[in-house]
Parts: sequence; structure tokens; C-alpha cells
Amino acid sequence: MSDKKHKSIISPLKAARGMGADKSGFHHWWMQRVTAIALIPLTIWFMFCAVGAIANASYDRALEWLSSPLHAVLMILYVIATLYHAALGLKVVIEDYVHKESLKIASIFFVNFACFAGAVASIYAVLLVSLKG
Amino acid sequence: MAEFKLPKNSVVQKGKIFKADADAKNVKSFKIYRWSPDDDENPRMDEFEVNLDDCGPMVLDALIHIKSKIDPTVTFRRSCREGICGSCAMNIDGTNTLACTKSIDDVKTECVNVNPLPHRPVVKDLIPDLNEMYAQYASIEPWLKADTPLPERERLQSPEDSDLLNGKNGHGPSACILCFCCSTACPSYWWNGDKYLGPAVLMQADRFISDTRDEATGERLDQLDDKFKLYRCHTIMNCTSTCPKGLNPAASIANIKRKLAERNA
Ligand code: SF4
Ligand code: SF4
Ligand code: FES
Repeated sequence: MSDKKHKSIISPLKAARGMGADKSGFHHWWMQRVTAIALIPLTIWFMFCAVGAIANASYDRALEWLSSPLHAVLMILYVIATLYHAALGLKVVIEDYVHKESLKIASIFFVNFACFAGAVASIYAVLLVSLKG
Repeated sequence: MAEFKLPKNSVVQKGKIFKADADAKNVKSFKIYRWSPDDDENPRMDEFEVNLDDCGPMVLDALIHIKSKIDPTVTFRRSCREGICGSCAMNIDGTNTLACTKSIDDVKTECVNVNPLPHRPVVKDLIPDLNEMYAQYASIEPWLKADTPLPERERLQSPEDSDLLNGKNGHGPSACILCFCCSTACPSYWWNGDKYLGPAVLMQADRFISDTRDEATGERLDQLDDKFKLYRCHTIMNCTSTCPKGLNPAASIANIKRKLAERNA
């Protein structure tokens, strides 16, 4: 309602029904669980293999490790699952606590964009290393 | 933003103290939230000393004692005094419960704190405004919907079917008395109660989704597949731990989510 002075009288039932169900609830909930489950093995792999292999290795050795197709693919999956999960989770936190509609939409947009850009940049980096190798 | 501080005119002040008679031996204090829309004063906690030898065993007995013998303006809802109507729901000693089934002996602290159900507008003293919640209850259309014409006799259920509603132990969704102790204990409902339906109403939604005679299951699930109406539940479990009837609204919510997963996944 653009007119700031506009005051409505609506029944409690109309308020409770609102604009109906947005049909996004299940999909969001489901993807949050799918990414969480995917992250269990991927995080174990990341902690033991990736950190283990790269932490004490020379730069060349680390590049070589990441150029192996298996590790490159797992690294891309790990990045996608992590950032997708983060975007879904942060959206919920914002919806819980930010009630000003414009600020809410802007914050969710920002989070989604940041996670998406982070994922694209990471995937690009992994491909760059692994395809050159 | 979600509000974490009380607005200025809601900050609770110290109230009056009503002493018991000097010869009373078995005295317990009750601090009661007082607020009236008729003056411009902030809410306050009045303290009433009650002679327990002259009073029944439940917190509701003490409230009735206070109202009839000390201060007739103390305002609260009650009706059945046996835990079946849900009117006397309030926050006693930090927990939402029914005043009529809460024994005074069970309150171990020196003084019994009595407040209205949390995070609701207050009508007066211990009476919260529940209109929004009744409307949310109406919005899930809590009646049996079936297109199959009425049979000669009742619509049949197997004993197992009716267990889904009553629960094997009698603690299923049908046993809910709609006191709203659970919804007003739910942090998600505090922050987003205008859009989230809350555990009490969702348990009734489950009651009809799980009713084998109801033929509108899909339509009911459609109405709930929403990021606020249903999925604001973050499984915090306050609802189940506070329910004075020992019911499990969180299980009902999980059941609705399971049904949606069964349908959509
Ligand atoms: S589930 Fe329990 S706490 Fe919630 S409204 Fe029903 S009886 Fe009250
Ligand atoms: S389990 Fe869900 S409904 Fe129950 S208190 Fe937690 S968030 Fe609220
Ligand atoms: S008076 Fe009816 S539930 Fe307490």
C-alpha cells in the first residue's frame, strides 16, 4: 500500500489466512536436509583428505592433489553443498528476526547473491587448477 | 526487527503488598501480574499473602481465594476447574500451565509468580488476547470434510484409525483442550505469530490430516506448505515440554512434515 495514511480494517480470519500458502515451505525444508546429509561425508573427506593433503604440502604438491579428477569433483560438490546449505539457513534466520519487509528482501537477496558468487568463484578456481594440471 | 525489550508502557513495576492475618500460620506469597486498560498505569506485580489453611490445593484455588477475600478486581479466566476447558492457562512459576491443575505444593520457590500467557496482548491482568489464535484455528478449517454422501449410520473407523487421533495412550491430538500454553511458549511463535500457525493450531491441522474419514488431506497439506504457516517450527520442543495435558504437538508437526515429504519428495 503506497498511501502511508491508508488504514485497513480486516477480520482476524483474513489476517490469519493471509495470501495463502507460498508452496515453498517443503522444498526449502527438503533441500536443507538433502544438503545437510550430503555434507556429512563431504565434510569428513574435506577434514581428513583435503586439509590433511594440503596443509603441510608444498604449493606444487597441493596443485597436483587438486588436479586429480576425483578430488576436484569432490571439492566442487563440497563448495556447492556448503554454500547452498548456508544460503538456505541464513534465509531462515533473516525471516525469523528481520520483520521490515524491504530490509528482509534486500538481506535475503544479498545472502543469496554472496553465496552464489562465492560458489561460482570457487568452482572457477578449482577448474582452473585442475584443468591446467 | 523482532523486539527483545518491552516497550516503555509495558515495563513491569513493583506493586502493592497485601499481608496475611497475623495469626495465619501456613502462608504463601503469590505475585500476580496486574494491568488494567482503564488507567494509564504500567503493569505491576502485586503480592498477596495467602493463608493456605483457608484455601484449596491448586493455584486456581489461591486465585479464587484472593479474588473473593482480598481484592475482587483481580481478573482471570476459569471455568471447569478440572483441566478440561483450557480457560485458566497462564504462566505460573515461569511455565505455561493450567492454574486449576497446578498444585501450590509443586511450586518450590518462596513466592508463586503468576503472569498471563507470554507474548500476547493483555486484555486485563491474567487475561491474554487470544483472538488471533482462534482465527488461525478457524483458518485450518477444523471440521471433517468428506464428499462421500453420509452413510446410513456413522462414518466408520477401525480402532487403529482412531488411535491416530486419540493416541494409544489417550494423548493424541484429539485430547487437546486448546489452552494455547504451547503456542505461547514457542519462540518461533513469539517472533512470527502473525504468520506462523503455532503448535496448538498445527496439532489440530494434524488431527484432521490424520483422520481417515476426512477426504480433504491434499487440500489441507496444500494450505500448510508455506515457509511461515508450518515451516517456522524449528523443533525447539518447548511446546511438548510445557503442555499441561502431556500431549506432543511437536510430534504432530513432524507428522505433517512427514506427510508433505511423502507427497512431494
Ligand atoms: S497441545 Fe497441550 S498446551 Fe497446546 S493447546 Fe493443546 S492442551 Fe494446550
Ligand atoms: S517444536 Fe516447533 S512448535 Fe514446538 S516449540 Fe518448537 S518451534 Fe515451536
Ligand atoms: S478452569 Fe478449565 S482448564 Fe482450568
